[in-house]
Amino acid sequence: MPCPVEPDTPRRLVFPAAARRLLQRFGIVIALVVVGAVLAAATPKFLTATNLVNVARQVSINGILAVGVTFVLLTGGVDLSLGSVVALAGVVAASFAHPDEYPIVFAVLMGIATGTACGATNGLVVTRGGVAPFIVTLGMMTAARGLALVVSGGKPVSNMSPDLTQLAGDILGLPIPVLILAAVSVASWLFLANTRLGRHIYAVGGNENAARAAGIDVRRIKLFAYTVCGALTGLAGVVLAARITTGQPNAGVAYELDAIAAVVIGGTSLSGGVGGIGGTLLGVLLMGVINNGLDLLNVSSYYQQIVKGVIIVGAVWLDRRQRRQ
Amino acid sequence: MNARPRSVAMQAAAVVFAVLFAGSCSSGRNVPVIGVSLMNCSSEFIVMINKAMEQRADELGVKLLVKDAERSPEKQVQHVENFIAQQVDAIILNPCEVEASAPAVDKALAAGIPIVNVNSETKTAPTAFVGSRDEESARIAMEYIAQRLGGKGQILMMQGYLGQAAQIKRDAGAREVLAKHPGLHLLAEQTAEWDRAKAVALMENWIEAHGDRIDAVFAQNDEMAMGALLALERAKKKDKIIVVGVDAIADALEAVGQSRLDATVFQDAEEQGRRAVDVALKILRKQPCDKETYIPFRLVTKENVAQYAK
Repeated sequence: MPCPVEPDTPRRLVFPAAARRLLQRFGIVIALVVVGAVLAAATPKFLTATNLVNVARQVSINGILAVGVTFVLLTGGVDLSLGSVVALAGVVAASFAHPDEYPIVFAVLMGIATGTACGATNGLVVTRGGVAPFIVTLGMMTAARGLALVVSGGKPVSNMSPDLTQLAGDILGLPIPVLILAAVSVASWLFLANTRLGRHIYAVGGNENAARAAGIDVRRIKLFAYTVCGALTGLAGVVLAARITTGQPNAGVAYELDAIAAVVIGGTSLSGGVGGIGGTLLGVLLMGVINNGLDLLNVSSYYQQIVKGVIIVGAVWLDRRQRRQ
Repeated sequence: MNARPRSVAMQAAAVVFAVLFAGSCSSGRNVPVIGVSLMNCSSEFIVMINKAMEQRADELGVKLLVKDAERSPEKQVQHVENFIAQQVDAIILNPCEVEASAPAVDKALAAGIPIVNVNSETKTAPTAFVGSRDEESARIAMEYIAQRLGGKGQILMMQGYLGQAAQIKRDAGAREVLAKHPGLHLLAEQTAEWDRAKAVALMENWIEAHGDRIDAVFAQNDEMAMGALLALERAKKKDKIIVVGVDAIADALEAVGQSRLDATVFQDAEEQGRRAVDVALKILRKQPCDKETYIPFRLVTKENVAQYAK
């Protein structure tokens, strides 16, 4: 008996396009597989369920940041303030994490709102002030760090409510930070691939003048990208605070470099217009696997840094070569 | 009416300028002025030194000009250059780095201004030094672990930022004790860069790699000890593993009080800050004082934590 066959729908599906894009990232996939295989051969502890969950947990914060900064990099901008804003948002969330005074959701929202405000400020100064993103976000990097120190009085904000620290706990054996990263990724991916605003982000990064000529409000698109990045940075800050059970004013130093590196490893162009969330996640994963594997193998700290540097550049080189062919 | 707020603003501005101006050239007047350059005011420990210094300066009627070098030795040299130009009476330096901050000491000495190093050393010997021996802190921590384990067991060591004086010395102190106890074995050592979040990840990886073989974790500061503790508690392994840190920061003291963290080592930030101001003032007044003042470290466990908790 024949199965009922659905008529061919003209509905556009996102998946094949995404799969194709994934294949175009073959270089990075190969790098990930090779590194994974080497680690699995080197130590039986790498390919265990608990360790893979560990890797996922450990990449989740960098992952949320990387997804956020992908929006900015796609428009051809950059955001150097991620690490400082992570600290600021964490400190703010921790300051409100006292359930007898505020509901815990409020602490989380305040952290995200702090990040959003920083991102929107970056976006406004870039678009309205016409100052180069590198400078604007460098300024924000310094100012947000200062603000984090002011808010916290230079000390970690401790005695955080266990309700908030549960944000770093598990649900059904899966770490909540990983679920957050998954939700953020899927939403961002669908958004960039399926909405007009998403496509405009690519258009602005690809050729700003052409986008303007086509009637796209370039300033609005850029402001939007920086604001999304800020919101996700705030979220990452809250998750980090939950993970280390305090708001640390000196947390997150140089996190922006790890996040931007992951995005670029994942094939997003630093000059904008090319790339996407799938690649970013692969980049995040590659960096996380290297970190975790080298720890498992007891590689000396000195050599870890060398190995990381070589693998990062090697992966991008492989990726670019693959795509030229 | 419109002019009034403006004139108030201008008066306020004039006052601010007057204060700034007075602050910048009040040297040699009745109140002694000491320039202070601190390594990094975003570190809880340095903030504690700073507060103690301010408090002591108030008690003694000394004026402090405090600058934050934000971990940059180059800024620190600039601070000292500015202090020399401002003709301060003495300088207290909390060096960022052993060699890179040494030019700051050279310049002060060349300008004939006494300079006191607090907490960390520089390659050039200053007029006087106030601080603690970092090796001693690690020695105390490791001895505690050795004693708890009866001289036998597998130990993990979390290192600070590689190449920094504190990391090198705490490494050396820990190894001294390990060498004395052949039954203690260093299972692995790795840096978590003094950072709590990095320590959580490193500990998770170590639990995976070494699992049930771990007997104790020595973290070279409390931030990392707290990170290791969190990871061990989440993995439900803390009850079998001893965790010890150094510095006695507020979080760590609380954790020791709750019997979560086994021990930390107290470095007396307040005493360092107070004594630095004392020594600087003695030198100014040409009173005799020790060229080197060492403030001892003390082990903090559940038994004596109450006297350290604030």
